[in-house]
Amino acid sequence: MSASTEREALAAEYVLGLLSGEDRIAAEDLAATDTTFAALVEDWRARLSVMDASARPQDVDPALWARIAGSLRHVAQDVPATATAGRRTQTMRPATSRPGLWSHLGFWRGAGLVGALASLVLAVGLAVQTQRALRTPVLVAVLVTDANEPAAVVNAFADGRTELVPLNAIAVPEGRALEIWTLWDRQVGPRSVGLIDRARSTRLKLQDLPLGPNQLFEITLEPAGGSPIGRPTGPILMKGLTSQAL
Amino acid sequence: MTHAFAATGIDIEAALARCAAGDEAALRSIYEAEAGRMLGVALRLLRRRALAEEAVHDAFVQVWRAARTFDPARGSGRTWIYAILRNRALNILRDETRSDLAADPVGEEVASEEEDPESVVARLSDADALKRCLQGLEPRRRTAIVLAYVHGLSHGELAGRLSIPLGTIKAWIRRGLLSLKECLG
Repeated sequence: MSASTEREALAAEYVLGLLSGEDRIAAEDLAATDTTFAALVEDWRARLSVMDASARPQDVDPALWARIAGSLRHVAQDVPATATAGRRTQTMRPATSRPGLWSHLGFWRGAGLVGALASLVLAVGLAVQTQRALRTPVLVAVLVTDANEPAAVVNAFADGRTELVPLNAIAVPEGRALEIWTLWDRQVGPRSVGLIDRARSTRLKLQDLPLGPNQLFEITLEPAGGSPIGRPTGPILMKGLTSQAL
Repeated sequence: MTHAFAATGIDIEAALARCAAGDEAALRSIYEAEAGRMLGVALRLLRRRALAEEAVHDAFVQVWRAARTFDPARGSGRTWIYAILRNRALNILRDETRSDLAADPVGEEVASEEEDPESVVARLSDADALKRCLQGLEPRRRTAIVLAYVHGLSHGELAGRLSIPLGTIKAWIRRGLLSLKECLG
């Protein structure tokens, strides 16, 4: 077997539950440190999960929820590592923490806040760039960091052009780049729409892709040539959902 | 992806986001929608209700703890939750230090009947490519893969069950899995 076939088989065996002891721990460590392997694992989970759907639902003892709720009193929720905390990258191992802006508390405090923030940032952006004053975007996404600070804006215009405007400098290590992704349908998965070596304004390549409200945009740190697997592999630096501009 | 799940109809990703914000009612909504099926999955792996309930309990606590680390760009919320459940159940199953695994059922507890692999495959949705692709495998490879995933059988147990040398079963399963991937595209 070639090395890549070997890894593919290892990922499948891991998801199938066939690894035990040291092999299982080794596979978990690999999934935690190697994003390509982690993606293989995630793909196998998606393929085989159909078999879980075939399990016959069981009547659940009403006391079970009470036990779960009781246990919640004694556990603290994991705080995602910050996006810049080292190279230990995303893992598909569910128990492992990783930057999760999507699920950041502040991120979900309501569309109102995001909308207000969008307007504010848009106003600032327009004031600075007066030559653009007449071109009003139809959709705006404010991308916020793990700390819930606005870090970039995505503007989509009526003529189909879409641009990313960073609001802050971003530290990009040597040999790495910033890749911009959008996700409109989980079945399709995220698509890369841009790759930049540092924080600068750029046109996004969305020509043939759908674009609408509540569409996710995110920026991840990737190898200089972009993600090797066509999906985000590095830490998420910022993310946000599109809102309709007024 | 998982048509058979569609009936439960709650937005798991949104519920996980609310869990991440500390909303216990959101975890409860996932529990209401999924706990019965999750118990079914755990029971197939662990055979005993008390152990299966323990796995489901631990899985929900872990979902709560790790909700902020869930990233919808990498996979569906449901797959994530079931992966947590399966990990927990397999850890219980593979924990050789536990005395409550091998022992016969205690008192009134009855080990659940093992479901025949062919009937597991037959009950997969026709709309799912996995069903067609599993059916395309050589029958004993299909049996081995389904028994491993659904009932948590190890290589050694599969070798015993199918009366095949351990090395052969490992190679079979690998080839079966790679054909499965090719078929699923």
